[in-house]
Amino acid sequence: MTVQELYEKIGGNFDAAKKILPSEALIGRFVVKLLKDGSMQKLRDGVAAGDGKAIFEGAHALKGVTANLGLQNISDLAAEIADEFRTGRERSLSDEELQAKLDELNAKFDAASEEIAKFQAQ
Amino acid sequence: MPARDSEHSKRRVIVIDDQEINRELLGMILEDDYDVIYAENGEVGLHFIRENINTLSLVLLDLVMPVMDGFAVLETMRSEPELHRLPIVVLTAEKSAELRSLKLGAADFITKPFDAPEVIRARVARIIELSEGRSLIRAAERDELTGLFNERFFYEYCSRLERYNPTWEMDAVVVDIRRFNLVNEVHGRDFGNKVLKQLAASIKRNIEHEGGIACRLEADIFFLFCRRREDYNPLLERLSEDVNREVENAHVRLRMGVCIMGGREVAPERRFARAKLACNRLRGKYSKGVNVYDKEFHDKEMHYESFLNDFQSALEEKQFLVFYQPKYNIEGDKPVLTSAEALVRWRHPESGMVSPGEFIPLFESNGLIQLVDYYVWRESAAQIRRWREELGISIPISINLSRVDMYDPELENKLLDLLKENDLKPEELLLEITESAYTDDARTIIKVVESLRNHGFKIEMDDFGSGYSSLNMLSTLPIDVLKMDMKFIQNVREGSKNFRMVELVLDIAEYLGVPVVAEGVETEEQVRLLKNAGCSIIQGYYFSKPVDAKTFEKFLLEKKEALK
Repeated sequence: MTVQELYEKIGGNFDAAKKILPSEALIGRFVVKLLKDGSMQKLRDGVAAGDGKAIFEGAHALKGVTANLGLQNISDLAAEIADEFRTGRERSLSDEELQAKLDELNAKFDAASEEIAKFQAQ
Repeated sequence: MPARDSEHSKRRVIVIDDQEINRELLGMILEDDYDVIYAENGEVGLHFIRENINTLSLVLLDLVMPVMDGFAVLETMRSEPELHRLPIVVLTAEKSAELRSLKLGAADFITKPFDAPEVIRARVARIIELSEGRSLIRAAERDELTGLFNERFFYEYCSRLERYNPTWEMDAVVVDIRRFNLVNEVHGRDFGNKVLKQLAASIKRNIEHEGGIACRLEADIFFLFCRRREDYNPLLERLSEDVNREVENAHVRLRMGVCIMGGREVAPERRFARAKLACNRLRGKYSKGVNVYDKEFHDKEMHYESFLNDFQSALEEKQFLVFYQPKYNIEGDKPVLTSAEALVRWRHPESGMVSPGEFIPLFESNGLIQLVDYYVWRESAAQIRRWREELGISIPISINLSRVDMYDPELENKLLDLLKENDLKPEELLLEITESAYTDDARTIIKVVESLRNHGFKIEMDDFGSGYSSLNMLSTLPIDVLKMDMKFIQNVREGSKNFRMVELVLDIAEYLGVPVVAEGVETEEQVRLLKNAGCSIIQGYYFSKPVDAKTFEKFLLEKKEALK
């Protein structure tokens, strides 16, 4: 599968990625780094521990990294979760809504990771 | 591109970001042109910067990081004079972080997701060019106008002086001219330059014979490195006398900050930064000419520092309280409650009630006041509504807008949102703006104020009489109420100079067609005088000190009763 095909599969914005990373090969080289990136794990650990600060930091980092890779769909979800846990801000989502967002993010991230891993293996 | 033209060695930049992907992305973009160093958090980055300050050209700084975040790095770099020179570009996805970063000295931003590589490279190159350009301009050793040293070489000479004269005790002294911008404005730049030259000549005469040296930092700010003396007042007086004698009609007033703390184990940059701080603290204090940075001053600074650290939790834990002081109309036989001023108090968990005089100037100096202000506005707007709902009566509350608020592009929206949230009319939230804000940057302020008035807000000019507005400017100002500076009210007696000032303010107000509020009114006598002179509204201990919302209810109930 080509990098562009990978992006289509995981709902990424190939054009956005191309703006930052000028060649397809480079995009490929960078997108696989997401598999080693610790921000999603930090977010998950934060959720497990009920640690708002860790959730914010993990989500905020994930938002930046995925935005740079053109994975806007994941970045937007991460941004919503980060905003929810920013210090000094009141919560605006109900627990159910938040859980739904987290589930969606988990699913999207895992699906993307799976495809990226396949891409890397080929 | 500066990275390619001179010499063959690449300029060195440091990328501080906790996300490896971001670091590598920037690395990929920059490493052809620059020697790129990476750090995964603020602490590691700052450590490297301190060790390599002379070989670095730029910092690229992420804001949200574990261990030590970007704001802390900015703050630290701003507080260490040795690190000032190094420009910082902040990496952020948040619009809201930009203002705060700028205030903390960031030179520029790179937003996430990153722009195209060419854009980032161009920005980095431009910022480096700018900062190097600045250094180049300073590179000449002497200040052209005064012949004194300039800053760049000055510190080096200070260190040498101490090295070669191990027994000398030297102090860092800062001298500047109060309201020098006015001297230039009133008499023109040539005249201003003449004053600066005379001051420089007098400084030389007074300190060079004993081995001291001096530099002109910029504009009217002079740094003197001189032998320690017990009392600096005589030196200050000699300098003033010289300038006022040599330049006809100069009438300048000088002020001086002296750092006697530290000694040679502390870098001169830092000692001068302390002296300058002491000097700046004299702003508005005309009776005192010399301010000394000593142990006591230092401890107080540390105390302030701890206040700053406590700020965030103070906001979160609602330690800031809003008090209300009533304003009464005294035109009729009986005083009538017209409105209240919202005033902030801080109930600190350890220090108890902290006086606003202690924390407001502190938070004004670093922009945090904006957050306090907004908190007070929100509380006040909600309070108007609560009173209306619970007591069936409400009065306008005036809130204070700080200087920095006037430059907030969101100001109008914030205020309008508050009205909407609480179902208020604009004339229920009165806006107090201090007079000196107008004199600082009249054009900007007037534009903001005009726009607010177009939305129906009423503007009260606060501390009127303290800010040196010209009459000419006053007549063009968009204001609805004048609040007379408290100083006029204190010691006011019939026929006294202060009373004539009060009458003058009332005349001006009449000319402008706006009512006057007198603040700080304490005695029956003052009320009588003000009433006879035609002042319509009074605020002060005579009626009540600022009180909490619960206590304030009695004034509202009284008014409700009277209305029946």
